[in-house]
Amino acid sequence: MKHRTLVLGLATLILAVSPVAAQQGGRGGPPTQSPASRVPPKTETPQSYPAEQIQAGESRFIAQCGFCHGRDAQGGETGPDLTRSLLVAGDVRGDKLKPLILAGRPAAGMPAFSLPAADIDAIVAFIHDAKAKAESEKGNRRSVDVSDLQTGNAEAGKQYFNGAGGCSKCHAVSGSFASVGARYQGLALMQRMLYPRNRGPRATPDLLPATIVTIANGQTISGRLTYRDEFTITIVDANEWSHSFPVATVKKIEGDDPLREHTEQLGKYTDKEMHDVFAYLQSLK
Amino acid sequence: MLTRSPKLVLSICCFLSSAAAQSVDPSMLLNPPADSWPTFHGDYSGQRHSKLTQITPANVHQITLAWAFPTNQTQSIKATPILVNGVIYITTPDNIWAIDARTARQLWKYTYPMNDGFHIGHRGAAVYKDSVFITTPDAHLLALDARDGKVKWNVVIADSKRGFWSTMAPLIIRNHVIVGVSGDFDNLPGTLRSFDADTGKPQWTFNSTPPAGTPGSISGGATGGQMWLTGTFDPALNLLYVGTGNPTPVLNGVARPGDNPWTCSIVAVNPDTGKLAWGFQASPHDTHDWDAVEIPILADVDFQGTPRKLLLQASRNGHFFVLDRTNGKSLLTTTFAAVNWTKGIDAQGRPIPNPDKEPHRDGRLVAPNETGATNFRQPSFDPVAGLFVVSAADGYGLYFFKDDHGAYGWAGADYDVWSRGAIRAIDYRTGKVRWSHDIGEGAGSAGILTTATGLTFTGDNGGNALALRTSDGTTLWHATLGRMNNAPISYEMDGRQYILTAGGSVLYAWTLPLPPAAQKP
Repeated sequence: MKHRTLVLGLATLILAVSPVAAQQGGRGGPPTQSPASRVPPKTETPQSYPAEQIQAGESRFIAQCGFCHGRDAQGGETGPDLTRSLLVAGDVRGDKLKPLILAGRPAAGMPAFSLPAADIDAIVAFIHDAKAKAESEKGNRRSVDVSDLQTGNAEAGKQYFNGAGGCSKCHAVSGSFASVGARYQGLALMQRMLYPRNRGPRATPDLLPATIVTIANGQTISGRLTYRDEFTITIVDANEWSHSFPVATVKKIEGDDPLREHTEQLGKYTDKEMHDVFAYLQSLK
Repeated sequence: MLTRSPKLVLSICCFLSSAAAQSVDPSMLLNPPADSWPTFHGDYSGQRHSKLTQITPANVHQITLAWAFPTNQTQSIKATPILVNGVIYITTPDNIWAIDARTARQLWKYTYPMNDGFHIGHRGAAVYKDSVFITTPDAHLLALDARDGKVKWNVVIADSKRGFWSTMAPLIIRNHVIVGVSGDFDNLPGTLRSFDADTGKPQWTFNSTPPAGTPGSISGGATGGQMWLTGTFDPALNLLYVGTGNPTPVLNGVARPGDNPWTCSIVAVNPDTGKLAWGFQASPHDTHDWDAVEIPILADVDFQGTPRKLLLQASRNGHFFVLDRTNGKSLLTTTFAAVNWTKGIDAQGRPIPNPDKEPHRDGRLVAPNETGATNFRQPSFDPVAGLFVVSAADGYGLYFFKDDHGAYGWAGADYDVWSRGAIRAIDYRTGKVRWSHDIGEGAGSAGILTTATGLTFTGDNGGNALALRTSDGTTLWHATLGRMNNAPISYEMDGRQYILTAGGSVLYAWTLPLPPAAQKP
């Protein structure tokens, strides 16, 4: 995969005040796990918990976690279905869950929880019990199956990809992209096609915008953009050192945003075009 | 001038005795004094527009920290602080603190017992006479003694075992405490209730939708339409205005044909009886979780050359509505963010949903996303500038529904694709966006305060508190404090103007520095 490089002046990158047009660019919000279209992973190490602890955990889970993850842990308003989570499947008595609950996942919108240890133990017990129950259920109310998504036309999608959609300007169907349909399936492929979220442990460094910052004395620092707001810019250099600058003190910021076209494309797709391109990507194996 | 007027002596005595009693007469809410922010929106209009003028575009860069109050919670502050009689009340789920506004000392703290309700946020308290009211995650209403935080009474608003919860800051109108609930995960009737502020006795219940299974219901079988944000009130018309939430089942529109009134609506209700005066649907037949609960701001301003009693709302579905609040008739409907789900606007000023953008088995790409073009974050209206300032977002989501998803609760699946936030100023006369100030990836979380000197206080997604120039959106001041999840307020105390902003779980008070001669060690 290659990126078209956009050289942006400081004026373009500073998005502080602009006309009415929706400002595009930037690199996504919290990553959405998309476990809904994969087979739920089985619990790797079966574990059992006392009924009283599960019951106490249910109360604590509903109060603290239920709005986002659902009262039954099968997904709520914004959070993923925990019964289909790989992390939960691999957890043994909270060895992975407890640190996550205590630290949160701020980038994904999950706050840290400073709950008493007994409460967290009970929540862990409840999550494992909810997963066991979900595994024994037929059907899943929030599921999106791969078969649900097969309404597009791969040939039409190929034409759109190479034509009106402009996808081929950045994406040559070669290298790893030539097998993208083998690496991602179903909803995960569709979400990645629309906007490849790029944060957290699964971030792809290649997709972080390459950036050159020129500071007051004329020195330049090159790296990948890891943070940007109106006042602050942070890049990580080739040696993985992070450098943070007050925007007001830097002379020039140059960079590309490899995902800009994806955000602009969201306002252009018809649902038919979206499903056609999806069908085309599915055929790339 | 000194006089010996008995009348004056009498009035001073009365003032002192009432101050000593620290009792809040609810008529004060009709015209709040400068040293207060006595109700969720500051006053009944919902404008969140401070008349104070000490802090200006020319000096706002000099404001300095007066004090900070850490709540020491992991949950951030989402509540608007309430200030009366020199005491600030701030809340998080299950918790309320009374803080002395001059010294930032904690006077008392009350913590509600552990309970099962959703602890996702809390919007604030309300005050009446010597009581402070809060709602609880398990949908109770508590009256606390303002002196010490002791519980005076505790009543059930709605049954949390059925799936109700509450985050709402109550609205006081005369002796009515008006409270709503939330409940998207179950098919529950939309419920707004009034309780006697003195006794806690129920006064009335307004249902935006009837209970599930009600024969011949006007809602077309829909439940939901919860009223989970504090409304506004016009004393002259004696009407309470409140936004209603999405219908349930949420994404399954097949199970509830028709427009589903009064979900996703603005309703005008008599605060003495709970009877509906009129309703206006912001989203007929919603299938995207776009509550129309966003604050219905009331303004008495000119519209097309005529003085009007207006109601203004920037709605989660991406539309800006101007209504005549005497009768609910539409005067103007525009969009203020990315919108791709409509086939136009109907004769009543309502967006016409495009059936192709309803959730489908194969997924539909819809703008706004579920979080919406705006949401709970409180807007502000500057009546002089004629600008409605709102925390907006352009976003896209994927929406799915198939029969397997059923007809209970969420009944579907949706996924955020991408969004980006901006503070936007809408000219209410045209409905057009005057300026847009980018605040970063994702939707914002901060509400807005405007002031009479042309300042807009809010926060961005990077944890910066901001002061913008209201006329053009230029940044005049910022402080990196942690993410702002509430709306700033302003008040005057001992001759100085203060701005209160939350950053994470800490409340910060800002004011102009005193000249060196006035500072004491």
